[in-house]
Amino acid sequence: MNSLPFLTSKPFTLGVELELQLVNLQSFNLTMEADDFLRRLKEKINEASVKPEITQSMIELNSQVHTSYASLLTELRELRNLVTEEAQQTHIGICGGGMHPFQKWKQQRIFPNERFMNVSEQYGYLAKQFTVFGQHIHIGCANGDDAMYLCHALARYIPHFIALAASSPFNQGVDTSFNCSRLAVISAFPLSGTPPWCLTWRDFEKYYDRMLQLEIVGSMKDFYWDIRPKPEFGTVELRICDTPLTVEKAAQLAAFLQLLCYKLLNNRQPVTRDIYLPYLTNRFRAARYGFDAMLIDPERHTKARLGEDLLETCIGLQAYAQDLHCTDALESIKEAIMKEENDTGWLREKFSTLHTLSDVVREQTQYWGQNIKMAS
Amino acid sequence: MITIASHLENLAFMPHFPLHLNSLFLFGTILLLGLIGGEVIKYGRYFPSIIGFIAIGYLAGPGGLDIANKTVLANTRIFVDISLSLILFELGRNLSFAWLRNDRGLLATSITESLLTLLSVFSVLYFVFDLAWTSSLIAAIIAIATSPAIVMMVANDLRAEGPVTRRALILTSLNNLIALTLFILVLPLTEKIPPTAFTFILYSGYRLLGSILLGLLVFLATVQIGKLIGKEKESQFVLIVGSVVLTIGCAYMLKLPSMMSLFILGMAVRNFDYKHILMELDFGWLARLFFILLFVVTGVQLNLKGLWEASLAVGLFLLVRLVAKTVGICLFAKSNRMTQKQTIALSLALFPMAGVALGMSNILSDFNPEFSQRTLEIVSAVIAILNIIGPIFTQIAFVVTGEALATVKQGGIE
Repeated sequence: MNSLPFLTSKPFTLGVELELQLVNLQSFNLTMEADDFLRRLKEKINEASVKPEITQSMIELNSQVHTSYASLLTELRELRNLVTEEAQQTHIGICGGGMHPFQKWKQQRIFPNERFMNVSEQYGYLAKQFTVFGQHIHIGCANGDDAMYLCHALARYIPHFIALAASSPFNQGVDTSFNCSRLAVISAFPLSGTPPWCLTWRDFEKYYDRMLQLEIVGSMKDFYWDIRPKPEFGTVELRICDTPLTVEKAAQLAAFLQLLCYKLLNNRQPVTRDIYLPYLTNRFRAARYGFDAMLIDPERHTKARLGEDLLETCIGLQAYAQDLHCTDALESIKEAIMKEENDTGWLREKFSTLHTLSDVVREQTQYWGQNIKMAS
Repeated sequence: MITIASHLENLAFMPHFPLHLNSLFLFGTILLLGLIGGEVIKYGRYFPSIIGFIAIGYLAGPGGLDIANKTVLANTRIFVDISLSLILFELGRNLSFAWLRNDRGLLATSITESLLTLLSVFSVLYFVFDLAWTSSLIAAIIAIATSPAIVMMVANDLRAEGPVTRRALILTSLNNLIALTLFILVLPLTEKIPPTAFTFILYSGYRLLGSILLGLLVFLATVQIGKLIGKEKESQFVLIVGSVVLTIGCAYMLKLPSMMSLFILGMAVRNFDYKHILMELDFGWLARLFFILLFVVTGVQLNLKGLWEASLAVGLFLLVRLVAKTVGICLFAKSNRMTQKQTIALSLALFPMAGVALGMSNILSDFNPEFSQRTLEIVSAVIAILNIIGPIFTQIAFVVTGEALATVKQGGIE
């Protein structure tokens, strides 16, 4: 009996979830208006495209399922435009970034629905601290076994996505010295980390049943792993990325994952449990040092600088980019790697010239809507 | 032999009785009493601390124990002026042109609710109660302004945040701007001897344009100094407080309405600081200190005489004001895409009337001490009632919409 059926989806289709910040345009602190803002948005946007998140200063944008990077980018731009215009009308700001640089977590309010109230009840203050903003990328899989394979095979590339997407250098009013400080918040949850060592969907189902029986989880949503299978969508879901500052970057990251999955499944190499030996260390180093992180390769027993490994990975993906029509995205990613630019660098540069974090958030909101006429 | 008298001479360093109450003594006493009043009142369910501050003031004032009378109050005038100025500066900062551009419904709502308030209050006083048209007009103009101090302080006390709170603040800002402008324009009409057209235009024009210009000039100077000091929070705090006090001083010297200048200064800081030289500052503790002072002094000045002598006029004044504001907001609720609950809450939030209205009444009585006493009594009684029930209405508005973070429970706000 299939206790957790894996819905088949077209392989390598892609979709994106973006958690966004709602900002007060006077103080540039987070504003607690998700409830009202979502009500307004749903009058104009398909209800499935926007959702609440754990606290009242967050919303989540959801794309449809796409077969190509180009159509994903088009939809994300349309959603960005609609959300930004709606935000302008009610005079709040929208921006990307993995963390708001100076919000006080204790001032956050839990979104008033049953699910989030339960999370708050279960996790106490951690629920409010979970006011962090990530990008989740879904890649379609033909079956659960492929999804489980990708969950483990992609573990090696988790640091790559951390460095590429990093956009959370500031937290609680200070420069954390991290490229991505958001991960430290997620690590506090007991069900964060990596999926269990199950290589087939059948094994995973057994694991899941056991977790259900032990009442450790109530559904797949309770797992906050860096990467997890999503059986109801028929996808593998990467959850490690900070929300980038622009939708263009978000679409590029999705295309990069799509390419990696395509390459990994088309050149399927066996995965070993050793991949997890340096996992937490590599993950930490990527979050701390970004492109400068020294990664440990457990199979080759070597160390490599993340920036160089990323470039090598890009070169290895070039041959597949044409098949998936995402050469532009790969080129943009490659260019960013060569210049060693990520959103964390952009935010730090803004802070060094503007001197206040509220001015940095102002710039973030303008950068988010850069192609839309913004009234600040 | 040393006499008792020479002993006493040697005690000249001792204080002389009766003791002379100085400004600082009064300032401190008002603050401490206000604080106690605010704490005591919070034990009553649904009573905002403002009511406690006002009650303490009223008890100490001529209406109560008569400890604090007008002479005593004159000594605290400077502190009250600074309080009111900081509030008006803050009110100006709430007026975002960008929001008005992006949501045209806001301006339409404000103009409509202000106009309806003006017309309805004027009609009641002029047609029903036969007051002179100038008196009726002045009272109606005063009625337009929602109390910024009450809306801000209740929002602050409840840690209210959300669409209704923000809209209440910008609509308060707009209706105060409209009321202040009209008040400055028509004030010369209240003179004992009616002014000539030339004097009227010159006087109104000087006061209106002069106060706007003063606010803008101080803003330009503030920005220049801001460039010099950089983005240091502490220095910027001193810069803003200094600019506010400077504006008050200049307005006095130039016989300009300081309330308008301060409002313009705040508005310019919000909208014309294109290079973001000035930091967004939270006056926090300082604001609370001045808020308490202002409300206690408001309590001292409360005059309930009109309530007994013209209770019908006062009652109708209150009723038509509430209805006018509610209708004004309801008319644009759909185009502003507000829910029914938000619409009602916003109407309730705009009901209070206090500090600025009292300021205008004071200007009026300073300007022409013989101005219709009956009108002043009615306005004072309305202000008194709205000082008491206004904060409760505003509190209800923020609580029912779920925008108050602090919950109102037995035993005060938590």
